[in-house]
Amino acid sequence: MVWWHSLLMLFGVLTVLLLVGLPAGFAFLAINLVGAVVYLGGEAGLMQVVRNGVASVTNFSLTPIPFFVLMGEVLFHTGLAMRAIDSFDRAIRGVPARLSVVAIVAGTVFSAISGSTIATTALLGSLLLPQMLKRGYHPRMAMGPIMAIGGVDMLIPPSALTVLLGSLAGISISGLLIAGVVPGVLLALMFLGWIIYSAWRNPSLAPPAEPEPTQGWQRFGPLLINVTPLVLIFVLVIVAMSAGWATPTESAALGALATVLVCLAYRSLNLGALRQALMGTAGISGVILFIIIGATTFSQILAFSGATNGLVAVVKGAELAPWMVMAAMILILLLLGCFVDQVSMMLITLPFFMPLVQHFGWDPLWFGVVYLICMQLGLLTPPFGMLLFTMRSVAPKEIPTREIFAAVMPYVLMGMFMIAAVLAAPPLATWLPQLLLGK
Amino acid sequence: MQGADASSKAYAALMRGCGGVAASVVALITLAVCFDVVSRNLGLKPVTWVNEVTEYALPLATLAAAPWLMWRNQHVRLDLLGAVLSPAAQRQLDRLASLIGLVVCVVMVWYGMAVLFDSRAAGSLVMKALVFPEWWLFVPVPMGFALLGLECGRRVLWPVGLTEATGPEH
Repeated sequence: MVWWHSLLMLFGVLTVLLLVGLPAGFAFLAINLVGAVVYLGGEAGLMQVVRNGVASVTNFSLTPIPFFVLMGEVLFHTGLAMRAIDSFDRAIRGVPARLSVVAIVAGTVFSAISGSTIATTALLGSLLLPQMLKRGYHPRMAMGPIMAIGGVDMLIPPSALTVLLGSLAGISISGLLIAGVVPGVLLALMFLGWIIYSAWRNPSLAPPAEPEPTQGWQRFGPLLINVTPLVLIFVLVIVAMSAGWATPTESAALGALATVLVCLAYRSLNLGALRQALMGTAGISGVILFIIIGATTFSQILAFSGATNGLVAVVKGAELAPWMVMAAMILILLLLGCFVDQVSMMLITLPFFMPLVQHFGWDPLWFGVVYLICMQLGLLTPPFGMLLFTMRSVAPKEIPTREIFAAVMPYVLMGMFMIAAVLAAPPLATWLPQLLLGK
Repeated sequence: MQGADASSKAYAALMRGCGGVAASVVALITLAVCFDVVSRNLGLKPVTWVNEVTEYALPLATLAAAPWLMWRNQHVRLDLLGAVLSPAAQRQLDRLASLIGLVVCVVMVWYGMAVLFDSRAAGSLVMKALVFPEWWLFVPVPMGFALLGLECGRRVLWPVGLTEATGPEH
């Protein structure tokens, strides 16, 4: 078979299976089974699918995933996250669109503790959205920031998907985790600027309604008490990782334990909450890792069928300018992001992208951050951005879905701007890891 | 219908039990890794097998969680056609998807067993910090996929009825 026949067939069948509504993990496994018979030598190939499946997830570099997810789940199920939001609510006063600002600031801090974007969005959405709508915020002003900051969660460590990208693409995981910090924080700042500017220009988007003024300890005390420990956990994870005391896995486990201990200290931990947090973690990590079972075989089949080499050779041979290849990659990621989930995106694209990254001599960390921002936008782009669904599930029924799509658009554009910024100024991605890890 | 009730309860318990196993594995590896890193940095004798056991725990947790997630409709899927089809057509499509899932599971159980018995017959050993027969690593594969196949089969035969309130709770 010519390589591009294989390529078309593999991705054609994958598309059909996904369209039928087969869970992504099953779709990859089904392709693998068929591919194993065709390209990997029948019986022997099928046995290889099993061995590869176990090997794909038996990987120490993937173990931070459940730990990072656990940190967020503990925080959410014990109610500590709610207390933190409440503290921000007391401290942030006198800005236009105050509650949207609270959502961004609280969301950024949660990003630094939680490895799960969906949990952040669901919590902020269920807590702040009703308040915003009650006070007459325009639905777009209310929903946009919550979804946008949920996406930023993926860039700011701890982040389960960053770990996965590092592991699958062979990029330094600690480097990639740290590299996401600067673009993540910059994005949050851009969001803040945009929110404040639009509310200042058009106050009807967010009618100002100052709650009773609070001063001094009443205003900042809760922030100190409820938020400081969260920031310290973030610092613990980053320092343990960058000072070489612990591997990313170990820092993640320490972070999870620290989160449990903090909740214990606040007397908000009980067995029920811990059970829920652990079940939630098993669920979210299970969803990610189940797709990974098919990862190794899928990339082997792409390689054995000649599809990987064929396509990569065509791109290399076309003598395109590097920026054109990069632009095409970003376009593919953004397009895929509209339809498939982040883990599938990585499985589909990395076998082709990483050889090209090497060919062009691009810094993998730099490329990794661009990739992460593209995946983050995939969470937000209609029709299938995961966070749009999350918002749909917490938003009142009378808000039409197209309003949710419209709400997120300015933030998607800002994300694209950030991609351009990182492309133009690589130090945005590489400066911090170089400083902390010397890489 | 008491019999059906009891069996659907038992089935629900089985599926939740799968989730429980995965959650317990997560709890245990969290504690083990923390213990390892703290004791190492305190200069105590390092526990050499923790990293290794954590690795082996991941496929176990993943395959234990998979049937439970399927039962709760939590696996990631593309819902493109769901939006345009009638509810009846959607149910048929879900049955078709479950049937494909069932076939995948049967093949995985079969070849999972084949790999397991192969490795056992060859007497392969894993020799890292711990030394043990390699076939132990493959035990979760046929078990996990058998349970997953059970849930797929249930969806083909009884498309509605047993599934708990659906959708992710997060």
